Amino acid sequence: MDVSQYLEIFIDESAEHLQTLSDCIMTLENEPDNKDTINEVFRAAHSLKGMAGTMGFKRMQHLTHDMENVFQEVRSDKIKVDSSMIDLLFECLDAIEGYLDNIKATSDEGTEDNEIIIKSLNDFIAKANGQAVSEAPKTQEEEKAAAPESKSGGESENYSDIELTDSEQKAIAEAKTAGNKVYGLTVFIQKECLLKAARAFLVFRAVEEFGQILVYRPSSQDIEDERFDLDFSIYISSAESLDKIIAAAKNVSEIENVVGGEIQTVQAPVEEKAVEEKQEVAAKTETAPAQTAAATGKAPAAKKAPAGKPATNRTVRVDIEKLDALMNQVSELIIAKNSLVSISSSEGGSFASQSFHDQIEYLERITTNLHESVMKVRMVPIESVVNKFPRMIRDLSRTLNKKMELVMTGEDTELDRTVVDQIGDPLQHLLRNSADHGLEDAALRAERGKPETGTITLNAYQEGNNVIIQVGDDGNGIDTEAVKSKAIERGIVTAEQADAMSQKEIVNLLFLPSFSMAKKITDISGRGVGLDVVKSNIEQLGGDVEVTTKMGVGSLFTVRLPLTLAIIQALMVEIRDEKYAIALGSIETIEDVPISDIKYVQANEVINLRGKVIPLIRLDRILDIEPMEQEPENLIVVIVKRGDNFAGLVVDNLMGQQEIVIKSLGKYINGNKLISGATILGDGEVALILDVNTLM
Amino acid sequence: MAENRIETSEKDIKQYIVARIGNEKYGVDIGYIDNIVRMQKITRVPKSQAYFKGIINLRGEIVPVMSIRTKMGLEDDVFTNATRIIILKIEEKGSLGIIVDEVCEVVTLTSEQIDPVGNDAKNTKDTFINGIGKNGDSLISLFEINAIIEEKEQ
Repeated sequence: MDVSQYLEIFIDESAEHLQTLSDCIMTLENEPDNKDTINEVFRAAHSLKGMAGTMGFKRMQHLTHDMENVFQEVRSDKIKVDSSMIDLLFECLDAIEGYLDNIKATSDEGTEDNEIIIKSLNDFIAKANGQAVSEAPKTQEEEKAAAPESKSGGESENYSDIELTDSEQKAIAEAKTAGNKVYGLTVFIQKECLLKAARAFLVFRAVEEFGQILVYRPSSQDIEDERFDLDFSIYISSAESLDKIIAAAKNVSEIENVVGGEIQTVQAPVEEKAVEEKQEVAAKTETAPAQTAAATGKAPAAKKAPAGKPATNRTVRVDIEKLDALMNQVSELIIAKNSLVSISSSEGGSFASQSFHDQIEYLERITTNLHESVMKVRMVPIESVVNKFPRMIRDLSRTLNKKMELVMTGEDTELDRTVVDQIGDPLQHLLRNSADHGLEDAALRAERGKPETGTITLNAYQEGNNVIIQVGDDGNGIDTEAVKSKAIERGIVTAEQADAMSQKEIVNLLFLPSFSMAKKITDISGRGVGLDVVKSNIEQLGGDVEVTTKMGVGSLFTVRLPLTLAIIQALMVEIRDEKYAIALGSIETIEDVPISDIKYVQANEVINLRGKVIPLIRLDRILDIEPMEQEPENLIVVIVKRGDNFAGLVVDNLMGQQEIVIKSLGKYINGNKLISGATILGDGEVALILDVNTLM
Repeated sequence: MAENRIETSEKDIKQYIVARIGNEKYGVDIGYIDNIVRMQKITRVPKSQAYFKGIINLRGEIVPVMSIRTKMGLEDDVFTNATRIIILKIEEKGSLGIIVDEVCEVVTLTSEQIDPVGNDAKNTKDTFINGIGKNGDSLISLFEINAIIEEKEQ
C-alpha cells in the first residue's frame, strides 16, 4: 500500500499525539490517580501505535505498542504511576520523537530499535504481573493470550455494558414483544487484520441471516469507516439460538473470537407495538450514528479506546500556503479599495454623488472586516509553542538540580501563524536563562527567605495591536554591577561611560552580541549566543524585548509582538516629494514644533516636550533626501516610541492614516535596515515603510 | 536529411529581445523575460546599492529596478519616450527590472551566429556578456543574466 501521501498528516498528527502524551504524563506525575488522564494517555498511545502501524513504521509501532501496554496495566490498576515510570515514559516520548524526526527528514524511521527502553517497559509490565523480569516477545504473547482471557472473564464489559439510547431500547423491546430473542455479541478481530471494516461487514452479513441487528457499538458508520479498535459489539434480534449465530460470525476469516449472551432486561417502557416495526427499526439504526458521539462519551468502558477522537473540534486543516494566497488576495482587494477611495476624494466633481461615497464607505467596511476575518483564520494560540515548556522546565530542574516550577497563563493568546512558528526559540532561550541564571540555588534561596521551589512565569496577553509575552522568575535578578564591570572588561564601554549609564541602559548591554553573563558555561545556556539572538529574532518579527530586574527579587523579560505581519494601519507622511509610511502602533503623538524650541545636547538636536527630552531625527538627512532651501518656522514632528524610548521624526507633511499592505522589497536590494518594506498606495504609487525600531 | 536539419536547428535556435543602450545593441534571452513595460515612476529606496534605481509597482507586485548603465559603469540613464523596463523573471530571487533606452526587435540566432566571449576580459562591461550575436550587419552583445543579478562588489 502506498502511504507516502499520508506522510504529512501522519507527521502532524503524531506530533499532536506526542504533545498530548507529554501533557498527560506531566499531569500524571502530579496526580497519579487521575483516571481521565490515564484514559487519555492510553488513547493517544493507541492512536500513535495504530498510525505507525498503518504507515509501516515497525520500530515505532513496537515501541508505542509496549508503551500502550504499560498504560493498559496502569488503567487496570495493576501498576501505580511512580517517578521512575514517568522518567521512562519521557524517555519513550523522546525516542518516538526521534523516530518522527527521522521520518520527517528521510521518510524513514531509521534503525534505532530502542531495545533498552522496550525492555524497561516490559519489566514494568512483568513486575505488575508479579513475574520475574521477562523478555519482550513473551509479554507480547502474554498480551495476546490475555486478551481472549479477559474476554471470557470480562466480556460482559463489552456488549452488556452498552448504554442504550431510547430509540434503541424501544427497538429491543419491540423485537422482544414480536417473539424474538435479543442477543448481545462482541466480536474480536485478529490483530493482524488489515481490513477490519470489511471483516465487520462480513460478520454483519453472516448474522443478519438469522435476524435483525438492532444496535451497533461503535455506530455502523464508525465501523464502516474503521473507526474502532479490534472489537465491536452488536445487539441482534433473532429467533435462532445464540450458538448458531456465534458460529456463523466465527466463520468469517480473521475473527479472533465472538462472545455473546442473551439480553434479558430492557429498561425502557414499551409504549406501542408498531405495525411498521421493521421500518422503525431501520429508521432507528440510522439515527444511531448521530448519537454515537454522545454514546461513546457516556460509555467509555464499553470500548477499548475509541480509535477516533470522539469529541473533536469542528476544524479543518488548511495548508498555510493557501492561507497566504488568501491573504494576498485580500491585500490586493485592499489596494484596489484604496485606489477607489483616492479617486472618490480627489476627483470630487464627477464622482461627488452621495451614494457613490456611501458605497465606498461600505466597501471599506467590508474589506476591513474581511481582512480581520482572514487574519483571525491565520491566528493560532501560542499554546502549540509554549506547551512543550513544562516538560523542558522539568528536565532543567533535574539537570540543574534546582527545584522550580513553571506557571503559565494566557496560553490561548493568539498570534499570526508565522509569528508563532518563530517565537518558540526566543522564548525557550528566555526560560532557560531564567532557570539557569535567574533562580538561585537552594541554599541562597533559603538564606533570602524565599520558598525552596523557584517560580518561573510565562504570561501572555493581548494589548491593543500587540501581544505581550512576559517571562519572569523570582530569582536573583540581574547584577548590574557585574554587567557593568564585564562590559568595561570587554571594552564595550569605558569606565566613564559606564558610570554615566542608567540602570536600564546597563541592563540593555546584555542584549549586545556575545555578551554572556554565565560564570561557567553550562549545557543550558551561557555559550555567548544569548540574549542578542533573542533580541534579533524578535526584532525580525517586528517586535521588541525589554527587561526589568531587581537584584535579589527577580527579573522580567517582556516580549512585545505585532498581531500580524501583513497589513497594518499606518500614518502616511511626505518628505519633499517622497512618501513614507510609519506604523501607527509606534506613534505616540504628532507635534508642531517651532524651530526656536530646538535645543542641543551633545550637538544633537532635542526638544523638550512636556518635561521629556526627546531627540529629533531629521528624516531627510537620514534618507539622503535633498535638503530644503529654506527651513520652515515650524517643524512637523512625529513622536514615535519603542519601549520606553522616544524620538521625534521630522517630516514635511502629513497625508493621513491608511490601512497598508506590507510588501517585501525582494532579495535584490539589501543593506537597508531603515526600510522594512514597501506598500502600494491607492493611486498605484509605491511608498516605503520606515522601520522605527532601527531609526532609534 | 531534412528531418535531421530541423532537429539540429531546434536545438540551437535561441530568441533574443534586442534592446539599445547608448549606441550598442544588447540581447536578452527571451526565456528570462516576463514582461516589458514603459518607464514609470520609480520609488527611490534610500541606502540601497547605487545601481538600484528603486522599486516599481508592477500590477500589485513590488519589483526592484536596476540601472544596467550604472552597473556597467556607463553614464546615467536619460529617460525618453522610448525608455523601457525589461522585467526579468529569475527563479530563486524573484522579478527584477532593468532599464534600457529602447527595445528594438526580437531576433532568432543559431549557435553559428554567436561568438562566445571569454570571461577573462578585463573590461567590466564585458563581464556581463557571454557572447556576441551576428544578425546581418549588426552585432548584438548577449547579456549573461547571472552576471546582471549577481551582487557587484564596489
